[in-house]
Amino acid sequence: MIITLPLAILWFGALFIALLDGTRKPVGYAAVGLLTSALVATVYLGVDIYRNGPREMVIAGWEAGVGIALRADLLGITFAVVSLVVLTTALWFEVSRDVKARIFPALVMFMGLGLTGLFFTGDAFNFYVFFEISMVAAYVLASYGESPRQLRAALIFIVVNLLGSVLFLVGIAAMYHNTGWLDMERISIRTPVLEENPAILTATIIFVAFSIKLGLFPFHFWLPAVYTGTRPAVAAILSGALANIGSYGLLRFGADIFPRELHEGAWVMLILGSVSIVYGGVQAIARHSPNEVLAYSTIGQVGYILIALSIGGEAGYATAILYAVINALNKTLLFLSASLRGWIAGAAFAVGAFSVAGVPPAGGFFGKMAVFQIGINDGRPWIVALIFIGGALSFVYMFQLYRARFWVNQEADEATTKGALGLVVAIALVIVAIGVYPEPLLSISRQAAAILPERAP
Amino acid sequence: MTLLVSLCVAVIFGSAAFLLLKRDLIRVISGMILLGNAANLFIMAAGLRQGSAPFVGSESETSDPLVQAMTLTAIVISFGVATLVLSLVYRVYDAHHSVDLRRLGSAEAVQASLDDQPSAEEVKADEAALRESEKQDVATTLEVRS
Repeated sequence: MIITLPLAILWFGALFIALLDGTRKPVGYAAVGLLTSALVATVYLGVDIYRNGPREMVIAGWEAGVGIALRADLLGITFAVVSLVVLTTALWFEVSRDVKARIFPALVMFMGLGLTGLFFTGDAFNFYVFFEISMVAAYVLASYGESPRQLRAALIFIVVNLLGSVLFLVGIAAMYHNTGWLDMERISIRTPVLEENPAILTATIIFVAFSIKLGLFPFHFWLPAVYTGTRPAVAAILSGALANIGSYGLLRFGADIFPRELHEGAWVMLILGSVSIVYGGVQAIARHSPNEVLAYSTIGQVGYILIALSIGGEAGYATAILYAVINALNKTLLFLSASLRGWIAGAAFAVGAFSVAGVPPAGGFFGKMAVFQIGINDGRPWIVALIFIGGALSFVYMFQLYRARFWVNQEADEATTKGALGLVVAIALVIVAIGVYPEPLLSISRQAAAILPERAP
Repeated sequence: MTLLVSLCVAVIFGSAAFLLLKRDLIRVISGMILLGNAANLFIMAAGLRQGSAPFVGSESETSDPLVQAMTLTAIVISFGVATLVLSLVYRVYDAHHSVDLRRLGSAEAVQASLDDQPSAEEVKADEAALRESEKQDVATTLEVRS
């Protein structure tokens, strides 16, 4: 029952808000309130799961194994909480400035519904349905603002991501055909005994589908075009919340359902991750507009998650979760604060920049350090060298951006409202808090990774 | 039967990929819709058994009802997305008076070159800052003299 509470709040809330005119402030703040209450319900559920273990519910009172199951474990709930935090902040940010389209608050809530649903579901096809709910919301959000440029960006976004969705659908059908189940837990029991070829083909299709969502190196081409055109709140939503589908999907389908295939393909992921880090960093240095720099930075940061995944083992998965969480917060902070002016926004931006570069007082330090640690433990010093190069590159582009954005022009403009500044500062404080006292997040990510099976020998 | 269905899926998938690479947006969208249909046919083919319609109480071997339910859901989703994309294409046509991707690409290039130049606001702010600093220079010189 408690599992369905956040979903119910978001679902009925989104329908209700969709009927009203979202450009009005009260409606916008009502949407923020509903999202916050869903977040509180999710956190409450998360605390319960942390103490008493995962919860499961089969929809409509069917027997387990027959009906569609909702299953909330620590891995899913961590991503759900982070995504809802990002969505609430981005919506609040946009409402405190000026909402341009009446549907915007409802769309953000629908995306929250899709994301929470797919993090909670235990059924592969249901995962696809929730995935499409959040993607359709994202398609419309990408064109938010409705300038010709945003429309073009939305078109690219839809065509590329629909391709990814179709691939994912094909992957699910293949999975069903091979294992005879749609329930993820039962699929994961059957996959180790599958024949080699169909299993590796299915795993590859699913990997490509999630890589497109994440914007990994060879599948990244849509990402800069979309991020450059959109408004800061939408860019924050896409990189902070929607990209979580990719990281969560790789963890759930890779580490949980196809551990053997993940192990066999580890070297491919290692290469793709390394190329992503260097390519993203070098491209970001060459760019000028803030959104473009941050878009390439997103491509680079995803590489670290992939490297952690490819090293695998409990430590590797824990690192991937930790890095994904911190990265989502970093990107939200950077996209939002880069659109503001004044020294407060500058300070908040600096915190985000330090965090991306992995400098101690900010949370990003622990993400980088965890990747460092597993690189050393795995006996691969070149990974450490690569992280160092990646960190140096991100330091350069972040401070190029900081200089261009906050040193040259100090004047506050009218779009910099007190509410927007407050939100940016709050996220910056959260990142600093993670950096100063990382124990809770470390222990959560370690426990979440413990759910996933150890990699095949 | 399996061979026939897989050939069908292959042909539809191939035509969809061909259409996706066209320059005309309407063809790209048709390609996307076809692609969704190829996936739907693939799901149907992924069923575990074949037989008569799966009604309660039917005597003979029934076909797998689960894939049919999945396909139905997938059809509804792709239908919804198709309407969304078509409306977006209309908006793009409204803004550019063209659905040719070359035309959209050149519009993007123009926009990119505009981005690299400083905006009118920034130029104004720079000028204001310059004037301000000049004023201060004059003021300090006057102070020193007096």
